[in-house]
Amino acid sequence: MSIQLTRSKALAFSLPALIAILPFLGACFFIFRFSISGEPSRIEGFSIQPYLDLMTPYFGRSVWLTLRLAFIATLLAMVMAVPLAFLLTNLRSRFARRSLTIVILLPLILNLLVQAYGWILLLGPSGVLNSTLRSLGIIERPIFLLFNETGVLLGLVQTSLPLAVFPIVSSVRGISREHLEAASSLGASHWRTFFDVTVPLLRPGLFGAASIVFAFNASAFAIPLLLGGRRVQMMGIAIRDMISPLFNWSGAAAAGMILIFVTLIVLLFSAWLARMTSEKVEH
Amino acid sequence: MRVDLLPSEGGGTYRFVIILLAICGILISSLPVIVVTIMSFSAADNTGFPPEALSLRWYGEVIAMFTTEDANSAQSVVDSTLTSLLVAIVVMVISTGVCIPLAYALARGDTRIRGGMELLFTLPLVFPLVILGIAFLLIAESLRLDIGIWRIVIPHVALVLPFVLRNCLSAMSGISIEVEEAAVSLGASPLRAIWDVVIPMMKAGILAGLIFALIISFNEFTITFFMYTVDVSTLPIWMYSRTVSSLDPSTLALSVFIIVADVVLIVLVDKLIAGRASLF
Amino acid sequence: MSSDTHLHIENISKKFNTVDALRDVDLRIERGSFVCLLGPSGCGKTTLLRIIAGFETATKGRLILDGQDISQQPPHKRGFGMVFQSLALFPHMSVARNIGYGLKLRGVKGAAQRDRIEELLEVIQLPHIADRPVSALSGGQRQRVAIARALAIQPPLFLLDEPLSALDAKLRDNMQIELRQLQQKFGVTTVLVTHDQHEAMMLADELVVLKDGAVRQSAAPSQVYNQPADSFVADFLGAANLIDVGAIKGGTVDLFGTAVSTPAPHMDGDLMLAAVRAEHLVLAPAAAAGTAAPIGAVSFMRDLGPATEFVVTIQGKDLRVRRSNADAQGLDVGSQVALTFDPAQVSLFKAA
Repeated sequence: MSIQLTRSKALAFSLPALIAILPFLGACFFIFRFSISGEPSRIEGFSIQPYLDLMTPYFGRSVWLTLRLAFIATLLAMVMAVPLAFLLTNLRSRFARRSLTIVILLPLILNLLVQAYGWILLLGPSGVLNSTLRSLGIIERPIFLLFNETGVLLGLVQTSLPLAVFPIVSSVRGISREHLEAASSLGASHWRTFFDVTVPLLRPGLFGAASIVFAFNASAFAIPLLLGGRRVQMMGIAIRDMISPLFNWSGAAAAGMILIFVTLIVLLFSAWLARMTSEKVEH
Repeated sequence: MRVDLLPSEGGGTYRFVIILLAICGILISSLPVIVVTIMSFSAADNTGFPPEALSLRWYGEVIAMFTTEDANSAQSVVDSTLTSLLVAIVVMVISTGVCIPLAYALARGDTRIRGGMELLFTLPLVFPLVILGIAFLLIAESLRLDIGIWRIVIPHVALVLPFVLRNCLSAMSGISIEVEEAAVSLGASPLRAIWDVVIPMMKAGILAGLIFALIISFNEFTITFFMYTVDVSTLPIWMYSRTVSSLDPSTLALSVFIIVADVVLIVLVDKLIAGRASLF
Repeated sequence: MSSDTHLHIENISKKFNTVDALRDVDLRIERGSFVCLLGPSGCGKTTLLRIIAGFETATKGRLILDGQDISQQPPHKRGFGMVFQSLALFPHMSVARNIGYGLKLRGVKGAAQRDRIEELLEVIQLPHIADRPVSALSGGQRQRVAIARALAIQPPLFLLDEPLSALDAKLRDNMQIELRQLQQKFGVTTVLVTHDQHEAMMLADELVVLKDGAVRQSAAPSQVYNQPADSFVADFLGAANLIDVGAIKGGTVDLFGTAVSTPAPHMDGDLMLAAVRAEHLVLAPAAAAGTAAPIGAVSFMRDLGPATEFVVTIQGKDLRVRRSNADAQGLDVGSQVALTFDPAQVSLFKAA
């Protein structure tokens, strides 16, 4: 009887969490059941009509748009999250570390409506940026950074940054300075060391963070709503539109299932990719 | 020349790029907050930025909101805030309470099962909040039970589980089994060993999880929007109902208040739990 | 010689999936003795220790402590003090709380606990560090705290898993002496796992050499050293030369022109290995020796401080030789030397 985890103990330890997630799983099942309902506004009968009804070019465009924006936003978020993680782990003063942590968490704290308002004040047609550029004579007409894809990307990157930074911080902590010094002693410049040593060592953490950020961005609703004008029809918006004003709940459920399915594929693919690239020994 | 992930000097273009990107990240996170904070001190109603005159009048209005009863609003701001706090605390306790044993079981158990379970508990992040909101609402309605505050607590717990679990798991990764065996060799039963040794060593990760749970629950809007009732409502909902008509700077002042409240709560939780393992 | 068996490891075997980690290991450990389990990595020594501690279960066989079968007893009921390779000190507890943990579990609290902790701190010669966090201790100090923690519960068995492997050489040498003295003072039956044969020689009353899960020899260190049971043991301890001497006839083989015999029964025609230790070979400048002695050339020579290490090539074989610095006078790389030895100091084994 080693103190290794016995089956029954493992089950007992997992049970509370499984109970806690049960309502969620119930909701998932509910959604699935709704998506194959025969009636659009209640659960009755079985039919795949809701899925068939979605096979429109409009929906296809929405799916593609969602994937594209989520991907770009994830990329941008990762590109900034890694330096932020480096900065966070390298700061000496406790106060600086505290402050930076809070700054990074801010997007999760501040009400989205208010944040959108802030962006509007900054980047809107009569906002700070445009007014300054106008008065400096650099532009004649305002640049439209909001109420289009750029605005949405901005909002997506902003809200997913905190999600990306903290997992990367844990990975970064696992890199000992000796790895970097070894590369340096062999002649690697800072950039070389970064690409040849740091990134491969961070890779599993990067894939994990990117997966979560991608999933989060793909299901975005409030951001495209507030910062996209009526033009950026990500799947979250499409789903909402089906519910109200259309009351096509089974359609909304079907769209939701498709979104989940697509996201899961991306997650599994990136997990596979992470495994592949870490196992491959570079020759 | 120091060699480091972020060299303190002499790093050439590498250092420049890293710092530049980090600054971009900081700006993106903080600019709206800065703008909003400045606007909240504006003396006028809703003119452009930067404000011409500064005043504390909106803060005055916010304080008035808290201290006087507004006959028109169905839910007072005080009630909403208290509900938000209560919900957040319950969510914090439940989510950490279930994730600690789960993280232990996953870390010490079969690695094949671990992958599947981690994926399962990441699902709440993947699901569009809108759909979840509706689904939870329909389930709650079909139950015909008045479960009061649990209408909001249960969905919130599901939402924060991915964050709390991830933090607990990374805390477990630093705890070798030898420390448990040492406690057992000294006479502690395996469960006792977990309580005396593993959990205290997990403090930093548990703390991070608690903070995430707090922030996410306290500020959650989308799902709560579907689940709230006349009797049970949260601060973000209260704010939303106020801003539907107009976005006057009192909302901004309230937002700044909320940020300060969040920060205070974070530091409080940190002080209470962490001891030497402080996040800060 | 009285034999007071404290722990009987009775025919213990352990299989991990398809791998035999331990094969029918049978040992009797005397009360109060210091037993070292010695062997290369993968020989099963740590597995055996963990079975004794209760963290692994044997596939076959029993553990009998003072006549009682404890094989089914869970580890936290056995009460054996254990020092782990990583020390496993509790990082969130001070030195005193670490040492006092086992006492606390046994209901020893307050002044009684404090007194015992102070007593132990005196014994390990660290009287003033009770309230320090373990992260503030040096390697040697952490070592001693881990030992004190295990001994605080007054265990019937004291188990150590390569406890000194993380220390630097000088500290390790000192700790070996201290550990031996501690064990003598407390008189506790001790089992220590190590891969370092010097350490085993320093500490053990009984040296158990393991390879591939089986016990090759179990005896007092000097016996293991001077009368190794087989060629592996001969090679593992000290620097021994293993030489093919061909077929044995009438109990005798020829080693460099000298007849070496063994009382052990061997069939005529068995191929044999001769083992002779580096310090048992004698060198003399070739010119001085008689014609009977075999002649070789020095191919490597190094003054190590207390002795001189040689490699001498003779009849196509490279032999390790160790002599005092005085004996090395006048010799250098390339010197022609005559090799002599006492046949009684040669061990003969059947070639595997």
